[in-house]
Amino acid sequence: MELGKISTFGLCIGLIAVMVVLACASVFIGAVSIPFDYVVRILINKITFGYVGDLSGIPDYMVSIVWRLYAPRVLLGLIVGAGLAMVGVVMQAMVQNPLADPYILGISSGASIGATFAILMGASVLAGTMFSSFGIQFFAFVGALGSSAFVFILSAVGGRITTTKLVLSGVIISCICSAISNLIVYLEPDAEGMRSLTFWLMGSLSTQDFGAAIQCGIFVLIGLVFFSTQMRNLNAMMLGDSTATTLGVDLNRLRKIYIVLTSVIIAIIVCNCGVIGFVGLIIPHIARGLVGTNHWKLFPVSILIGAIFMMLADIAARSMASSEIPIGIITSLCGAPVFAYIMLKKSYGFGGGEGSRWTSTCPACPSPCRRSASSRGPISMWTRASSSDFSGPTARVSPLS
Amino acid sequence: MKRDCGEITLDGRDIDGLSLRDSALMMSVVTQHNYYNFDFKVEEVVMMGRTPHKRTMEMDNEEDRLIVEDALSKVNMLDLRDRSFSSLSGGEQQRIILARALAQQTPCLVLDEPTNHLDVKYQLEVLDIVKSIGCTALCALHDLNLAAQYCDRIYIMQNGRIVENGTPEDIITEEMISRIYGVKASVERHPGTGKLNIVYYPKYGRVTDPRPE
Repeated sequence: MELGKISTFGLCIGLIAVMVVLACASVFIGAVSIPFDYVVRILINKITFGYVGDLSGIPDYMVSIVWRLYAPRVLLGLIVGAGLAMVGVVMQAMVQNPLADPYILGISSGASIGATFAILMGASVLAGTMFSSFGIQFFAFVGALGSSAFVFILSAVGGRITTTKLVLSGVIISCICSAISNLIVYLEPDAEGMRSLTFWLMGSLSTQDFGAAIQCGIFVLIGLVFFSTQMRNLNAMMLGDSTATTLGVDLNRLRKIYIVLTSVIIAIIVCNCGVIGFVGLIIPHIARGLVGTNHWKLFPVSILIGAIFMMLADIAARSMASSEIPIGIITSLCGAPVFAYIMLKKSYGFGGGEGSRWTSTCPACPSPCRRSASSRGPISMWTRASSSDFSGPTARVSPLS
Repeated sequence: MKRDCGEITLDGRDIDGLSLRDSALMMSVVTQHNYYNFDFKVEEVVMMGRTPHKRTMEMDNEEDRLIVEDALSKVNMLDLRDRSFSSLSGGEQQRIILARALAQQTPCLVLDEPTNHLDVKYQLEVLDIVKSIGCTALCALHDLNLAAQYCDRIYIMQNGRIVENGTPEDIITEEMISRIYGVKASVERHPGTGKLNIVYYPKYGRVTDPRPE
């Protein structure tokens, strides 16, 4: 136990070191014409607001290339990677399904409706209105929040929110949203708009200043602070609804808070960088492979790996071709094989496995085990309709009235 | 799930008035289906039993580790503490879940068919452990023989109502079994255990009742 703790701590330190080195390298790889020691000196000087080191001897244009062009981009990548990984960890615990990712609640599809609308309709419809300055971002944000609200409402209809209902609602909303997006695209064949839409839908970290990074950074930081107080609850959630309830964790209340917070974080990320898939899905799995399922270890390690992965993907996106490749393509290309590997490794259940709570049958009954009060004669002190409906110690011990 | 009628009290307190956390401090539950999509280490699963005792940011301390160790040794699973939960057999998993309930250190233990899916050896083992702890245990069972052997008091439920309640000797009779279950059976005190022993008569096949009707 002690050893595990120290090695996780060591792992985190190591990952932070890798992250810092990669950040410098990433800036350097972007600005090839600038010597590495200049890059480091500029970064150190700027980050400490000019207190450490000096910039004498470094041409001004180099400073602005490093500090204005590449530093914001690397910082944005770092924050977005960390944010997506964090939300991935929370979502997977929240819906107790290893297939969950930040976009499962229909957030990305909602954002794409907003963006499609803004890009393809925007030019004519919005010109001159107050919305034209917000443009794509604003509509993507509204779309993302709107669709996750729909998913949430849909899964709350008819009682408590369950894992299955959340996931299915996400699928339903995604279908509707992508149909509408496709319709808009079909009706508006504007080549230029299509290109910018594609680029946005596939994700991009390109940015001109620190604005996007600061925007994302604030929300990711809020999430980080809040969720780091939730390790115990996240662990208990992983054991399923009924067990978590018997351990005193108020699932319904926590889920609501988690959904709102993760939706806002994702919406902010999506509206700044577009849809960057697979990061929130695979990073938690990779981290689990390293440190296990316990969130005390998993949470920090996932966030660091997420940041590192995103910087690597960004470096690849910039250097693989003469022009920039959308980063979402890179993350999906890397993500899919990793995911296949995880699936084949079999150490995860995907909700349909043997003994799964939704389909399980006990040898005694031919149909799914739904012992109820009306079944004859078991010496049963309580009954339940299904494990997901079970809300703790409300046993049916009725008096003989 | 809401109850249909009556009231449920725990130590004289209405259960609706208790927060989830308070009830988790008074009552631990061994649930029936324990299949997790994610793989935890045995020790981590048992450590979860400490959840209601901890504040939000509180780390696991030495005391928690000792409690977990103690719980694991009570169910004879201390050797497997570093194994992954999903790699265990059904009986072993059930004992780990029991250990988690023990680590919760509650005065009351609720078990929902703890012997389901288990081989006879593990059925006895699980109930032996429960019996040895000495806390109040409320247990749903289908097996009358197990109930007769381990329970101090039995409640028989039919159509959502308690129809019989009392000690095994008072409750388990040939008349009751035929009335509630519609099955003919013989109930005798077993000379070896001193407990009631129930033998069911199948409808098919030859059964000779040694005693006069």
